[in-house]
Amino acid sequence: MKRVIKSTVVGLALLGAWAATPALSADLSVCIWGTITGPDALVNGMSYGTRDYFEFLNQAKGGIGGNKLQILLLDGRYKLDEELKNYRRCVDQENSVYINGWSTGSVKALREQIQQDAVPFMTESFASEALDPVKLPYIFMAGPTYEQQMIIALRDLATKGGKTLVIMHPDNEYGRGPVNVVRTSGIIEKLGLNLIDTIEFPYDTQDLTAQMLRVKSKNPDMVYVQASTPQLIVVLRDAAKVGMSAKTFVGNIYNISPAIPQQLGQSAEGFRAIQVYSDFGSDIPAMKDILAFKTKNTVEKEDVYYMKGWFKGIVMSKAIEAAIAKNGGTVPSDIKAFRTSVRDQMVALKDVDVGGITPAASYADHQGSTRARIAEIKGGKYIAIGDWISAR
Amino acid sequence: MSGTRLWISLLVAAAACILTLMLGRFGNYLMHAVVIASISALALNLLTGFCGQISFAQAALLGVGAYTAGNLGNAGWGILSIPLAGMASAAAGALIGLPALRLRGLYFAMATLAAQFIFDYAFKILDPLTHGVSGLVIKPLTLLGYVVQSDRAYAVIAIICLFVTWLTMVFIGETTLGRAFLVVRANEIVAKGMGIDVARTKLWAFAISGFFAGVAGALLAFTTRLASPEAFGLSLSIDYVAMIIVGGLGSLPGSLLGAAFVTLLPELIQRVGEALNIADILSAAREMAFGLLIIVFLIFEPRGLSALLHRLTSRDHANIAPKTPRPTSERRRSELGLKFEKVE
Repeated sequence: MKRVIKSTVVGLALLGAWAATPALSADLSVCIWGTITGPDALVNGMSYGTRDYFEFLNQAKGGIGGNKLQILLLDGRYKLDEELKNYRRCVDQENSVYINGWSTGSVKALREQIQQDAVPFMTESFASEALDPVKLPYIFMAGPTYEQQMIIALRDLATKGGKTLVIMHPDNEYGRGPVNVVRTSGIIEKLGLNLIDTIEFPYDTQDLTAQMLRVKSKNPDMVYVQASTPQLIVVLRDAAKVGMSAKTFVGNIYNISPAIPQQLGQSAEGFRAIQVYSDFGSDIPAMKDILAFKTKNTVEKEDVYYMKGWFKGIVMSKAIEAAIAKNGGTVPSDIKAFRTSVRDQMVALKDVDVGGITPAASYADHQGSTRARIAEIKGGKYIAIGDWISAR
Repeated sequence: MSGTRLWISLLVAAAACILTLMLGRFGNYLMHAVVIASISALALNLLTGFCGQISFAQAALLGVGAYTAGNLGNAGWGILSIPLAGMASAAAGALIGLPALRLRGLYFAMATLAAQFIFDYAFKILDPLTHGVSGLVIKPLTLLGYVVQSDRAYAVIAIICLFVTWLTMVFIGETTLGRAFLVVRANEIVAKGMGIDVARTKLWAFAISGFFAGVAGALLAFTTRLASPEAFGLSLSIDYVAMIIVGGLGSLPGSLLGAAFVTLLPELIQRVGEALNIADILSAAREMAFGLLIIVFLIFEPRGLSALLHRLTSRDHANIAPKTPRPTSERRRSELGLKFEKVE
């Protein structure tokens, strides 16, 4: 056993030397990091989907413009230091032309560096702080911000004649941030709605019975919950406990999870969530490619987040393809110039057909699409109801 | 401290600075990550390894340092924000150490755990200072009007801070206070009998340890550019306890080895996973591997990496590491005897 320990020490010393040496980079490298393991691994189909799309291009089309892609998927573990390390590896060692990062915290910490490195960066975050086409020209998003998702739900409520609203959110940035932006924006009043209560709860809460009794006493037309799936399960479970129907509750994109109907059964029936991307298995053209890919490969996650990942792969590769085409069909040898060109081509993307995952995507606003549908749990499954609603 | 040891330390620090010139950005990131962890591990080792006070509040002290440096740095205090962050953490360290005047052992460890949770909560609610759950975005460090942006520059600054920390630790070890730490660790009643003010000694240990933890926190703040409550949680405190156990309790080089080991282990696992094309599987096994390694060390090499390295580099193995360790009480008596002579 002591030999094992000795070998480990020597191995670490070798690692130092290894890590210090820049990797032999491929001409066309893309880098993704997600939470492969960590607190929000539940939604890591977002990373697998993007990796698989690039792999699909390699297998089905020989890469982009005949250039095979070197794809690297790293685990950020939802830890800031790990994510910052991954970023440096992608930029410095892998010489990636496009990076797909994960958390809101990391994109906030990296904002300035991304601009200095001038590297196109697709963030998984929907936080409005990560979106500013003027100040943050290299950062892109894959859909409406959390605030816009909330506005879509409010529009739907107003259209259907609803008047009163309660908002619930956990006591973390993900919960507080978007709610504060929407509350102070005046949009609630503009839509003719009345916010009758806002309830904050601990993000690791296990019981919300008291809060649900308070909500019940207000008898709102809608309760918008800006929370992640584990918290939403507690919300709906305790709502049922006090006799409230799940039909009153609406959540965001991260509340489309099979875990909700599986764990809550009948208590989840009627719950609605914002659906930005068509679900896995939908009757859309993109599914044909995914199923073709699945015949030869393992698809790690078959959910709506995987579809987000596939969507990102489509738009990122379109920008890379356009940049290569602009360079006469060859990959530019200067990585800096290549990255700048990819960024320019990304912004120029207009009405890109993304196989029905979302409406056609345009990236002048760095978001692709600001539209979403409402999906409702019916018979234990999320069913899209109604058409795409714009947040603008 | 002997002149030879000082020169060796200086040469090692200079070599590390030169090494940064050969490293790329990623290599320099790893360098400053290891160096910052080393500073904090040295600080915790002073408290736990030398003075015998188990603390699970190291992350809280790092957090105090990070937020202080972040606010001062954003206000234009530049490099001064690093020692000032150290002072703020020293004060916080002394505050955390107050229960040590009444509590011992496991009970005190629990008190530090409580302190960790209190600070964790404070980071979330003290919005004007911490920006709450959204975190404090920090401007780059300014040094004599020059804005420090590169990982290489941060690596060099961190190495200089580690050098100063190292010299201070060695110096303290040779003072009466340093010897008093060892006596307090061995037996508080004996320490009292020897005329040592146990309470004051413990508070000094907390304050000094807190200062260097604050310096590490400040460096962490400037390199990550974001201080958020999530970054200074209990898991980070446990990482630091693991570092000093793996490195070797009470060993200064051990703190550095432990910091390097714990910081680089995830990268090693990642690279091995990539080489074998099983990165996804190894990612999931990473935390488990980390825990297993600590158990392996505790069972097979309780004196940590420092003892192991000592044996590996020693020409005469038999003289340095007896295969059968002496019983703890005998070792303690021997150690105390040696220190008593020096105190006398």
